[in-house]
Amino acid sequence: MKKFFALALSLALALTAFAGCSSTSASASTPSAASGSTAGSAGTAASGELNLYTWEGMFPQEVLDAFTAETGIKVNYSSFDTDETMLAKLETAKGGDYDVVIADDYIIETAIAEGLVMELDKSKIANIGNVNPVYQGQFFDPEDAYTVPYGAGVQTIVYNPDLVDIEINGYEDLWDAALESSLGITSNFRVMNGMALKIAGESYNTEDVAAIEAAGAKLLELAPNIRLIKDDNLQDDLISGEISAGVMYTSQVTMACLANPDLKVVYPSEGIGFGIMAQFVPVNAPNPDAAHAFIDYILRPEVSKQCFEYIGYYCTNQAADALIEDAYQSFLTLPEDFSADNMEMIQNISAEAMEAHTKVWTEFRTACGQ
Amino acid sequence: MFVLSFQTRAEVWGVVNQFTLDNYKNIFQPVYLNTFVESFKLALTSTLLICAIGYPFGYFMAKLPAQWKKRVMLLLMIPFWTSSLIRLYGWIIIFRANGTLDKLLMGLGLTDGPLKLLYTYPAVVVGMVYALLQFMILAVYSSAEKMDWSLVEAARDLGATPLKAFLTVTLKLTLPGLLSGVILTFIPSMGLFFIADILGGNKVVLVGSLIQDQLMKAHNWPFAAALSVVLMILTSLMISLYKRVTHTTELEGIL
Repeated sequence: MKKFFALALSLALALTAFAGCSSTSASASTPSAASGSTAGSAGTAASGELNLYTWEGMFPQEVLDAFTAETGIKVNYSSFDTDETMLAKLETAKGGDYDVVIADDYIIETAIAEGLVMELDKSKIANIGNVNPVYQGQFFDPEDAYTVPYGAGVQTIVYNPDLVDIEINGYEDLWDAALESSLGITSNFRVMNGMALKIAGESYNTEDVAAIEAAGAKLLELAPNIRLIKDDNLQDDLISGEISAGVMYTSQVTMACLANPDLKVVYPSEGIGFGIMAQFVPVNAPNPDAAHAFIDYILRPEVSKQCFEYIGYYCTNQAADALIEDAYQSFLTLPEDFSADNMEMIQNISAEAMEAHTKVWTEFRTACGQ
Repeated sequence: MFVLSFQTRAEVWGVVNQFTLDNYKNIFQPVYLNTFVESFKLALTSTLLICAIGYPFGYFMAKLPAQWKKRVMLLLMIPFWTSSLIRLYGWIIIFRANGTLDKLLMGLGLTDGPLKLLYTYPAVVVGMVYALLQFMILAVYSSAEKMDWSLVEAARDLGATPLKAFLTVTLKLTLPGLLSGVILTFIPSMGLFFIADILGGNKVVLVGSLIQDQLMKAHNWPFAAALSVVLMILTSLMISLYKRVTHTTELEGIL
């Protein structure tokens, strides 16, 4: 038995050693492949492999398979848990190893500043015109030179009208005593502290420490209403009735609404925050041609439709809006009377302001437990 | 980590090589000090409960016939065959609104509606006790097993009441097991913040959870490092203080 165990262990060791070899040899050999194919024009010459790096579950398998069938490019999907892990890994790889990365706006701003992102060659992305202009020209890439949006999170409030006696129109209503111990929120503290900032008429991105502390004091009054703070699968608690209202990630809102169509989704009257996930090509990507071909492929309206219905984030491809099925229309596309005027993105702020935010958040969390 | 704790955070991402004590000063803000107090309180509560349940369990287990000892040992080990996270999710199913426990209590007519048991402090304590109880049982069991029971018989023959025999003989001889059980449960419970996060709905803020926040969300690595250094120093201090108070030089199985 012991012998068998030792054998199994050494086998596993040997395997991982080989895995290490193969990945280094792959990245060592790809630059030559890439330089060979740059001679071809307009992305049609792309071939070989594409290393895609993003969260788990960002593409339906059919889309990846269809892409491979059409172009002959094999897609290697690797995933990360958090934006921070991605950036750390990309730094270690010096902007190599991966061809297409999809991550959140604020981390892309940092990645661009660190010189890890390649400028896109728009001539290879024929479908670039399909992107919804609402999501373009934002802070992390003002000239749209580096990124193509892939889904947006729009901060909404979702609640179960059967369990909530009041009507919720904005963040202020969440402070109502009728919601005692029945709210669920995520632990994205910029969004949560931001609710109090919005009520006070401030910007999400204020660097005024006094304003952030005032928001913190307001937030403490919300503590008795908080039942749960959780990032993963918060929608399950709304579906099961553990909580009756929540502020959660867009994909979670979509899943909750699909499971229970009676839930109400509210665009907060105080102002709407949103975040964008975007695709970019790292500066030393082994196969940039394949990367451009992939980005272009995903921008096709019928492909985008499949993707957004799968990931449950707001559709950033306006050519795909009309194709989205009725069941998904209301939470994947912006309402017709929607005005982009009171929308604001959450951006990177000064270290001092960030510290004020974390302090406010820790105080708030502690208060929730008491 | 020690070096990192004296560095300065960069404006958005990374660290700057500049010596500072601010990270340590930061810890003395009441809100952050409070997380240490919370961690200590939770660890103490769980350890006391574990002693109360684990000691009798280990004691009586040692008195079982050999065949039953093996069976009970197997039962104690089976939960370790699955991931501790999966076992925690089992508690969620028991505690959640209209979950197993709610249904049971309502079925017995003790309560009328769902009791919002999940995401509360008691739920966290139950999770901690459950996760660490085995360590106490095994530590007590191993010293009770080795004990020479003829000493207890001798005490009884010499006229000691059962209680007195237990207090003067059995308890003294199994003390090393109990004490190492305390260490084996107290020290990990200072760090098991994911139980508080999952069963307590992130509302019980322990040091571990604060460190995670600072690392992953606030990008303040030096502060996270300073918190970790202080946590390690505090834990070692507690062990040495504990050894001095209990006059133990030798703990069963560890140290």
